[in-house]
Amino acid sequence: MNEPPRLHIEPESELERSLLDAGRSYTASASSRANVLAALGVVGLTASSTTAAAMTKAGAVKWLAATAFLAGVAIPTVRYLAGHSAPASASARAPIANSAPAVATVPSSAPAPANTHESLPNAGDPTAAEPAVNGTANAVRVESKPAPASPLAAELSALDTARAALAAGNPTAALSGLDAYARNFPHGKLSLEAEVLRIDALAKSGQAAAAQKRAQAFMKRHPDSMLASRVRAYVGQ
Amino acid sequence: MVAAWPTSALRLPPPAPLATFQRVSRASERETRLRALVDRYLDFVARVLRNAGTPEAEIDDDVQRTFIAVSNRLDDVRPEAEKSFLLQTALRMAAHARRTLARRREVHDSDAQLRVQVPMHTEQLLDQKRARELLDQVLETMAPDLRMVFVLYELEELSMIEISSALEIPQGTVASRLRRARADFRERVRALSALPQAGVGS
Repeated sequence: MNEPPRLHIEPESELERSLLDAGRSYTASASSRANVLAALGVVGLTASSTTAAAMTKAGAVKWLAATAFLAGVAIPTVRYLAGHSAPASASARAPIANSAPAVATVPSSAPAPANTHESLPNAGDPTAAEPAVNGTANAVRVESKPAPASPLAAELSALDTARAALAAGNPTAALSGLDAYARNFPHGKLSLEAEVLRIDALAKSGQAAAAQKRAQAFMKRHPDSMLASRVRAYVGQ
Repeated sequence: MVAAWPTSALRLPPPAPLATFQRVSRASERETRLRALVDRYLDFVARVLRNAGTPEAEIDDDVQRTFIAVSNRLDDVRPEAEKSFLLQTALRMAAHARRTLARRREVHDSDAQLRVQVPMHTEQLLDQKRARELLDQVLETMAPDLRMVFVLYELEELSMIEISSALEIPQGTVASRLRRARADFRERVRALSALPQAGVGS
């Protein structure tokens, strides 16, 4: 098909060029990537270099909150940190719930409401009371970090350490980190995320039965959680 | 005498079931794929949403919704069709946003047409924000079907074949709409340029 050259190649006026350039150069906001990844439940330390470089100190705290764990509690987390660390801004929006878009033709799976603090497991959580791992021989010492400014930031930091160990292929160290998290934050606001990480770590450390047991308990208690999709894979053995 | 092998010391822990490893592997592959999708198409999705009519304040939310939609269907989306799926989803999101905005304006806002009457000196160097505002105003006045083709061809530089596939319309229709859209766009920009200079820079 014969295609005409784009208008911006030979614009009729400077105004036309400016308008076309404005449309062609639009980019996502600086916080968008982190929020999207958090909404997708994709946890990672590997922020793009451009994103990381563009972040201010306050932005880094928000990024940590947004990406640290899974979107279920990211909204309260970001709000909490935004309230303590930096003024909220329109460009630092929290991840939205994993709900189907309000467009009839967009396919979606069953929508899962975002978790709230009320949905988080409490100290009476039966699985949380279970021993996590007995393999201390291979445990790698978890590096301690400077105490973060706020309690929730401290929780994030603790879980980030465990997650980093898991991402590095050391599930035993991750489990040790999660044990430390459970000791230090028995009523932690990120307990749900910790539990998902623990299930991941158990499975990757070869403790399939324990992972399955916890996954089943998780699904029973939180069937509509956004995190359920991550746990579901471990339920049926 | 031959020393017996300390077989108990060599015994390996029981292996995890293969199915578990496969699930873990699949979860990891899924994360990798999603991350690559976001890295590759984040700006593309945001730009399509914005140029197709999603208000600035709703871009971040709709970007997330778009990627969530593809995430929910990830197993059904072939890698070579990822961009097309994201595009179609983003266009539907934008259409929904435009309808919502239109309803809102019916109730609250009667000056939509007045906003386009912003004086503009053609030789004035436009800053990006100002240019963006004017582009929004021009695009808002275009017919939605023309706007879609215009945005995809002129701003995203998709081919007519790609546009035909994304919008599910014949290639001849794409060509026809593009011709009208370009003429319409230029006419509106000329009209904008011809407005009196009073108020420029004020």
